[in-house]
Amino acid sequence: MRLVEFWLSHRNELLTLIGQHILLVGTATLVAVAIGVPLGVFAARRPRMSAPLVGFANMVQTVPSLAMFGFLLPVPLLGGIGPRTAVVVLILYGLLPIVRTTIAGLNGIPAPVREAGVAMGMTPRQLLQQVELPLALPSIVAGVRVAAVVGVGSATIAAAIGAGGLGEYIYRGLSMVDTTVILAGAIPAAVLALVVDGGLLWVERRLGSRRSHRRLGLTAGAASCIAVLLWGGALLAGRGSETIVVGSKNFTEGVILGEIVAQTIERETGLAVQRRFNLGGTLICERALLNGDIDVYVEYTGTALTAIFRQPLGQDPAAVLTTVRESYARSGRAVLDPLGFDNTFAILVRGRDARALALRTIDDAARHTSGWRAGFGYEFLERPDGYQGLASTYGLRFLEPPRVMDLTLTYRALASGQVDLIAGDATAGLISALDLVPLEDNRQYFPPYDAVPVGRSDMLLRYPQVRAALETLAGRISADRMREMNHAADAGREDPSAIARRFLSELR
Amino acid sequence: MAAIEFLDVSYTVPGGAQILDHVSLVIGEGEVVALVGRSGAGKTTLLRLVNRLLEPDAGRVVVGGRDAREWEPIRLRRSIGYVIQDAGLFPHFTVADNIAVVPRLEGWDDARIRSRVDELLQLTGLPPAVYADRWPGELSGGERQRVGVARALAADPAILLMDEPFGALDPVTRAELQSEFRGVQRRLRKTVILVTHDMREALSLADRVAVMESGEIIACDAPPAMLASGDARVRKLLEAVTVPFSQDS
Ligand SMILES: Nc1ncnc2c1ncn2[C@@H]1O[C@H](COP(=O)(O)OP(=O)(O)OP(=O)(O)O)[C@@H](O)[C@H]1O
Ligand SMILES: [Mg+2]
Repeated sequence: MRLVEFWLSHRNELLTLIGQHILLVGTATLVAVAIGVPLGVFAARRPRMSAPLVGFANMVQTVPSLAMFGFLLPVPLLGGIGPRTAVVVLILYGLLPIVRTTIAGLNGIPAPVREAGVAMGMTPRQLLQQVELPLALPSIVAGVRVAAVVGVGSATIAAAIGAGGLGEYIYRGLSMVDTTVILAGAIPAAVLALVVDGGLLWVERRLGSRRSHRRLGLTAGAASCIAVLLWGGALLAGRGSETIVVGSKNFTEGVILGEIVAQTIERETGLAVQRRFNLGGTLICERALLNGDIDVYVEYTGTALTAIFRQPLGQDPAAVLTTVRESYARSGRAVLDPLGFDNTFAILVRGRDARALALRTIDDAARHTSGWRAGFGYEFLERPDGYQGLASTYGLRFLEPPRVMDLTLTYRALASGQVDLIAGDATAGLISALDLVPLEDNRQYFPPYDAVPVGRSDMLLRYPQVRAALETLAGRISADRMREMNHAADAGREDPSAIARRFLSELR
Repeated sequence: MAAIEFLDVSYTVPGGAQILDHVSLVIGEGEVVALVGRSGAGKTTLLRLVNRLLEPDAGRVVVGGRDAREWEPIRLRRSIGYVIQDAGLFPHFTVADNIAVVPRLEGWDDARIRSRVDELLQLTGLPPAVYADRWPGELSGGERQRVGVARALAADPAILLMDEPFGALDPVTRAELQSEFRGVQRRLRKTVILVTHDMREALSLADRVAVMESGEIIACDAPPAMLASGDARVRKLLEAVTVPFSQDS
């Protein structure tokens, strides 16, 4: 039921995503046919070539699609984020079945039939067009069917690099841990795969049995090819020059911040904004920004320092911000003013205890921990900026060694009294929902993860109004406010765009 | 004038066995020569030299007074009708389209093609109304062979190469087709090389019979002389014809 509601309330977006999906797969399949069939013809003529060719295509096929997107990101012309890379990957995947079935179809033609063509005085070209390709066609169509169906599946992964398509819902759902949203993308993708499979199977059967309607079929096929290619060309030609592209990471907070940035630019400057949200991780966002596939997104200072610039963590927020700002500047990017909250680890206790014992800082809590139990996620126990250092910095000692559990479960374990102290995500929506209280890191043990918009310098120079617009956000998003917004999305299942809109209207 | 001349021709499979060994045979215009011999004797190979599906590695093949090597292969093949051993029809073409292959390649207009196809279907005893739009898969073996013959005749070539056109048929149909062949040949006077396993067929249809064995022509004569031959290998072939032979008029 919720699923149907979701579809109805998102129907324009749904149609757009389905359209993008069809376009990605359609374009890729057509190009794969255009390359694969001639390649197959070539290989069938030269048996010595066909083994290495098919071997290579096989190898390409075994590369997991996410890894393939990763390989292609830094490649000039083909790579970068967006539909272009996705289409290239889908083409590579589509080649194998098409090359293989083309070879099989051509090799399956009885020798006397081919010889009859030669003996009738057909030129090699006439033989290919009038005898070989028509007879291999059912087999080739079978390959196209496999390529297209695999393509519909692989294309869902393309959302990770901002290519759009139904994968958007799947990624959005995964980051929100919301099955409904996952299904909202997965079900149409599955249906699409079935429709493509059935349709091409029908074509294949018809071609297999009769030659009649072939001309009609070819005409229709050619017409749809041209239509898809034109449409695809328009899409791949990219954005208009007056568009600012806003990116985001692939989790709830990232998307909400992306919306806030996008809507701020729209409201304050009137420039057109294109959203490339849910990019699959820090390094993909970094690549995208470097290549100019996106113009701006929100990053965290500590993450940029360690993951992008590979420098040791510092404790001082101002020093970290300066280092990050200088590093970005060297590669033509500008770090704008921090938004106001720090998405670091937060040491949490129950609100009840905090009020009863007047706890404000971790030092306050350290006096009581000898009678407490603690629960931590696996990651917190391992990280260099995790438990060991925390315990020695504050001299924490617990009743028993900390329990290890899944990070998302620690919040509930704390609320229900199973443990008395946890290390959570500073902006997790559950903090306010479960009446938990973050303690101040008064000894500045945790490195800073201040949220900052990062933009391309050339864009900011060209559109100073964008910089001005983003500066209106400086220091305006508190950790509490961010927690509420995350909660509205994760627990309240509100749309990130609606949450951002509400936030901005309250800001004025 | 000779239509086809094999002048001391040899053929060896590249990197393999020698299949034709110094074969010489001259075939006059309008003459029907039957090639008989046991399976594997080299009959099909000899035929394929005529339209340059194969090239001899010694000797010369002369077609219409010109060395086959001087012919442009596409031109040569379109001017020679070829009935392939196992029909070799295009499974994705209807009967009519199969027959129309060479006329289409030659760019005839549709009306002319249609009337030619009808004519040939009549000639080979396949009523156009019934057969024109059938698929090869919907024909019996004998019907397929007739379509193969009609296809070879389509562009009215002066030379016909027929590789067992009446093979694998029941005796009645076979006799029918043979008599059709004689009737057609009387009117059209084509130069024909007819490959057959059947000495009886060869003797009844051909002006001369050439006997092949292991890549050589061991005897070549008109049917009466062939019947009188003293060669043991020829006698053996003749003895295989059980029913006493009598030549039709
Ligand atoms: N491409 C080839 N490679 C090797 N051997 C071949 C090749 N083509 C033909 N041969 C051999 O050449 C010999 C003559 O073949 P050919 O097809 O001319 O025989 P045929 O007289 O037509 O026989 P049949 O009456 O069975 O059709 C056979 O022994 C055959 O195995
Ligand atoms: Mg043969």
